Amino acid sequence: MSDARILDRGYRRYSGPRLGTAGAVRSLARHSAERALGLRRSPWAKVLPLLSVVIAYVPAVVFVGVAALLPQRLVQQTGLLPGPADYYRFISAAIVIFVALVGPEVLCTDRRNRMLGMYLASALTRETYLAAKVLAVVPVLALVTLGPPLLLLVGLTLAEAGPRGPVEFLAALGRVLAGGLAVSAAYTAVALAVSSLTDRRALASAGIILVLLVASVVSAVGASGDGNALLLLDVSSIPLELVQRIYGQPGAAPGLSTGAVLAANLAWTVGAGLFVRQRYHGLAVNR
Amino acid sequence: MVRASGVVKRWGRTTALAGTSLEVGRGVTGLLGANGAGKTTLLGLVLGLERPDEGSLEVLGLDPADAGPRVRERLGYVPEHDALDPDARATDLVRHLAEVHGLPRREAVGRASDALWLVGLGEERQRPVGTMSTGQRQRVKLAAALAHDPALLLLDEPTNGLDPLQRDEMLALVRRIGSELGVDVVLSSHLLEEVERTCDAAVILAAGRVVASGSLVELTRGGGGLEVEVDERPWALAQALAGRGLEAHVEGLRLTIAGTVEAAADAVRDDAATLDIGLRRLQPRTTTLEDVFLAAGAGAGTGTPSPAGTSPPA
Repeated sequence: MSDARILDRGYRRYSGPRLGTAGAVRSLARHSAERALGLRRSPWAKVLPLLSVVIAYVPAVVFVGVAALLPQRLVQQTGLLPGPADYYRFISAAIVIFVALVGPEVLCTDRRNRMLGMYLASALTRETYLAAKVLAVVPVLALVTLGPPLLLLVGLTLAEAGPRGPVEFLAALGRVLAGGLAVSAAYTAVALAVSSLTDRRALASAGIILVLLVASVVSAVGASGDGNALLLLDVSSIPLELVQRIYGQPGAAPGLSTGAVLAANLAWTVGAGLFVRQRYHGLAVNR
Repeated sequence: MVRASGVVKRWGRTTALAGTSLEVGRGVTGLLGANGAGKTTLLGLVLGLERPDEGSLEVLGLDPADAGPRVRERLGYVPEHDALDPDARATDLVRHLAEVHGLPRREAVGRASDALWLVGLGEERQRPVGTMSTGQRQRVKLAAALAHDPALLLLDEPTNGLDPLQRDEMLALVRRIGSELGVDVVLSSHLLEEVERTCDAAVILAAGRVVASGSLVELTRGGGGLEVEVDERPWALAQALAGRGLEAHVEGLRLTIAGTVEAAADAVRDDAATLDIGLRRLQPRTTTLEDVFLAAGAGAGTGTPSPAGTSPPA
């Protein structure tokens, strides 16, 4: 069998099907997700995303190992293993770093190198362009917000230290999925909102970390009793508070109703999304 | 391909297009105008990136402001400035841009490779775009605009930043795309020579208005008459021609004579023989695109486009 290939077939007209906006959104979402993870790029571009992902999974691997190796009675008595709801405490720093890497990479780069103009000269509109970016960021962030709790759930179940029976497992799985996606959606919106303000990745990354830190500090300083209303303004903690409620736990501010926590999450996510849309609405791209 | 009628576009208090009406047909059409004449604004409207404030625009039979994605997936666009991801390999980038124009992935992979070979980057297709020269990056943009087989290719100052050799190669490529590949092209340029060398037709814009348009043959047909160069005594010949009712403009040893070519040529031959004046050159009068441009007043206000283009005006 010969290895010969025809490389230059000459330019041909194309009369086949065109996939329209849906195909364009799919392609851009995949391309952006690959870019955010450093795929098809230099080895250096892969280091930080890979490191963040590894850091997020390490505690889950350790906990599953503990559950598998230690006697079950000892594990239960000492309360060594956190549930999926508490897991986010261990990886919140990795999540913040990952969010600060992914958001700017996905949004700032296109404006910096003017690829935005190329995209908007295609089957994409400003709205479908942003939709593709959201479709890229949510699953990429889910790698650290959904993947580790999912690994923990499956690992603990296999080690017989988790939910018992298929019904209990499916209920826990539903909570893991809902919690992971809620955290991913809220952080996606915030990351994109901050990234829409500048075309410099480093500046946007610093901005995202600053927003999440400042919100957290203000909320902690202003905390007063169980009904800490300032928590609703803390965009770094309110998604994690929602996760606690999804698992039926009281969370950090039991005085706040679950409805208020859910509304605050929705307000942050939708509000940040509308902000990004507004920023891109009047952006001049071909001059 | 493109039909505009009374299109007005304002940016704040600045009127970029002031009632532009034009038609762009098949082949390679030059969109000629000084910087600030409204060329890029017009391309933005054709792409449906902006909506006209007044007037109507039709591209490939559709209104781009309403049917933007359907129009744009059939257009190829090469922007004036660098607009490529420097980290991406040329083949990945061209394939991806073909996909966002609606091509299925499998088809996009093959056509990306074909388009890069077409622009002369077949051997370089695996290189990251950021490691390429300006000329190569311009060709990657052209390949990206061609890979999805556009019905109409919009080139915004495609020779910007290229050296003379690269510029010649790019223009030859554009000419080939328009003639051999059958892709219709709009070439936006402020360089008269580029349009003259490359295009079948031209639309001349000045201060947001179309001041002349048509095929280059029509535009440069001139007003008839003759151009004559003599050995000596041009004024004597002009005087003799005036006696026949033919008006002659004298400049050095050259005469420009109005009237029909046949009648003027006979008169020049006879009078030159009678006066014993040697004829060095006798040919039908021609008009350059620059003459058309200046006659249309397109050079006023915003600066005349450069006749030849190695140093674009600031």
